[in-house]
Amino acid sequence: MSTATLKRRRGWVFHAVMAPLTLLWVAPMVFVVVLAFRSFDDIAANGTAAWPVSFGLEGFREALGRGTMGRALWTSVQVTVPAVILSLLLASWAAYALARFNIPGRRAILLTMLAGNLLPPQILLIPVSRVMESLGIYDTLFALVTIHVGFGLGFYTFVLHGFMRSIPGELTEAARIDGAGPVQIYARIIMPLCRPSLAALGALATTWIFNDLIWAITVLRTEAKLPVTAALLNLQGGYVSNWNVVAAASVIAAVPTAIVFFAFQRHFVSGLLMGSNK
Amino acid sequence: MSSAPFSRRGFLAGIGGIGAASLLGACATGSDDSAGAASSTLTLQSSLSDPDPKAALTKVVEGYGKTPVTLNTIAIETFRAQLPTYLNSGNPPDVLTWYAGSVARDYASKGFLLDVSDLWTGSGACANFSPALKELSTADGKQIFVPTNYYWWGVFYRKSAFQEWGVQVPTTWDEFIAVCKTIKSKGVAPISMGTGSTPWVASGWFDYLNLRINGAEFHRELLAGKHSFDGPEVKTVMDHYRQLVEYIDPKGRSYSWQDAVTPLTSKKAGMNLIGAFITSGVPSDAVDDLDFFRVPIIDPSVPVAEEAPTDGYFASAKSKNTAGAKELLSYLASAPAQQQFIQLAKSSNLPTSQAVDTSTFAPLVQKGIKLLNESKAITQFFNRDSSDELQTTADTALTKFLDKPGDVNKILAEWQESAKKVLGS
Repeated sequence: MSTATLKRRRGWVFHAVMAPLTLLWVAPMVFVVVLAFRSFDDIAANGTAAWPVSFGLEGFREALGRGTMGRALWTSVQVTVPAVILSLLLASWAAYALARFNIPGRRAILLTMLAGNLLPPQILLIPVSRVMESLGIYDTLFALVTIHVGFGLGFYTFVLHGFMRSIPGELTEAARIDGAGPVQIYARIIMPLCRPSLAALGALATTWIFNDLIWAITVLRTEAKLPVTAALLNLQGGYVSNWNVVAAASVIAAVPTAIVFFAFQRHFVSGLLMGSNK
Repeated sequence: MSSAPFSRRGFLAGIGGIGAASLLGACATGSDDSAGAASSTLTLQSSLSDPDPKAALTKVVEGYGKTPVTLNTIAIETFRAQLPTYLNSGNPPDVLTWYAGSVARDYASKGFLLDVSDLWTGSGACANFSPALKELSTADGKQIFVPTNYYWWGVFYRKSAFQEWGVQVPTTWDEFIAVCKTIKSKGVAPISMGTGSTPWVASGWFDYLNLRINGAEFHRELLAGKHSFDGPEVKTVMDHYRQLVEYIDPKGRSYSWQDAVTPLTSKKAGMNLIGAFITSGVPSDAVDDLDFFRVPIIDPSVPVAEEAPTDGYFASAKSKNTAGAKELLSYLASAPAQQQFIQLAKSSNLPTSQAVDTSTFAPLVQKGIKLLNESKAITQFFNRDSSDELQTTADTALTKFLDKPGDVNKILAEWQESAKKVLGS
């Protein structure tokens, strides 16, 4: 058997396996999108899984109007942007110090930071909400930003540390000989070189923070301050669920993360790989 | 793996960190005082996240002119989980929506709720409410709850469907089983019940069978832990429940109660034992065709009891503006506010104030009022008569029972075990 036919056969098997898998993977998303365009009476009469007999933008209109998804999206941006920038900035400082300076116990520091990430956030819900309460910042967006920065820091530092270690020491050595101080080396040499991994982490952090629900409902109680995920949950009533509105709102809520992901997709894959093969 | 021992520098850095944290704490306490100054605005924390009730409450609150009110609507399951945190926090919401009965008493016993006894005397907003409602809102001789509306439970069905199948509304247990049999013979599931993501629905039949067989008094005592879940009385209840299992739509095990309404409206299922809130989940063209009947009588010597869960408000004991909170409660309990809320919410709820004119309400609602007026005793619902923790034990036991009715003795013994843990704590 020639290699060409073998290759062709392999390609055929690949498609035969992957096409149904892809369909399976995409099915829930298609389901939600279809649901978003149906009317409430259609869903109530025929069930969520029925073939659609109605088409309209009623769900979207209501999600943006009554559901106040627009305001919630803006809140999410207000939380996500500072939290991502602040956590990456702090993590890059920490990683720079740990990777480039002879700090005693730096390995222990790094492992301690990472160990915090291994704890499931669920067991910290009540302690954290009590701490926020006693600090007097319970029910503020500032509290939410603080939590996201705190919880993300360990992992971001770990990844950036690995990446910075892979940058050859000769580069910083040369800069030092040219008279650059630690701050200049950080700003002019290290940070520009870290751009791919920062972009990857930025995309990852944006997705995580934007999609967070559990912290938002733990430390916030004012409806006007709820980010988009919690607002989405609020659309679901105890007695009635307007599935079309919920589905439409889900689609709206998914758009920003999808945009960020597609924009950073290239960095995302390459950046994470670069960190790993040091 | 080698980790360096902690150095003096690391120790000093740690001390610095603690210092910074306490500094942060200090300035945070400063900002807390400024928040206290703004307490002239009242906060109303609401669990009414369904679209129509939410819009209705927003409208009602807008009509309150005395103090500005911030209305926070939080999804009900989140609200349920966060309620202890809300009440226990340093600057809690002033007024909160919730349920009357054991749940409210439970919070009152922890000292979280404001004493609103003065609303129940003299010319107070709740002074003309029925004695039963007053009893329901009382904990340790003080009133801590302001009920504003309640609803009834019944077996809902479509009139046109019953006509098609040639069945009559049953009034006794035997008639009811006969109706189930006839409907099943038409290839339709007789009873629709969504016990997937809303397993508490299964407690509806449990409550009613217990009320019909052992009576309201026994039911309340059972939920308070004075009787055993594996005793002979509950076994009789489960014998009756078991007769129903073959008529319950097996697909219901994966439905929520909302999903279980769909087969009822499309005539793929015959009946559904549920609260009056079902009307908001039915498509507009089927609402007029919807009717209900009383859960059939099993033992005529047992006084007729019905479930009528009561909703309303309580205020937080730590509210910074207790006078304002009471005034807001009085407004919410007033007849015009109740009427406005019920009409805008498009719910089938009944007002607690006797001053509300109910003659304009839908015929179905009139029938609900009649049903409750004819009953000798009123209960709330499993969780409201006990606690959310005990409800969880019921959910586990009853869903297991629906899957394996043959294991009933074992299931009841386990239920008693877990109930003892909940009630003992």
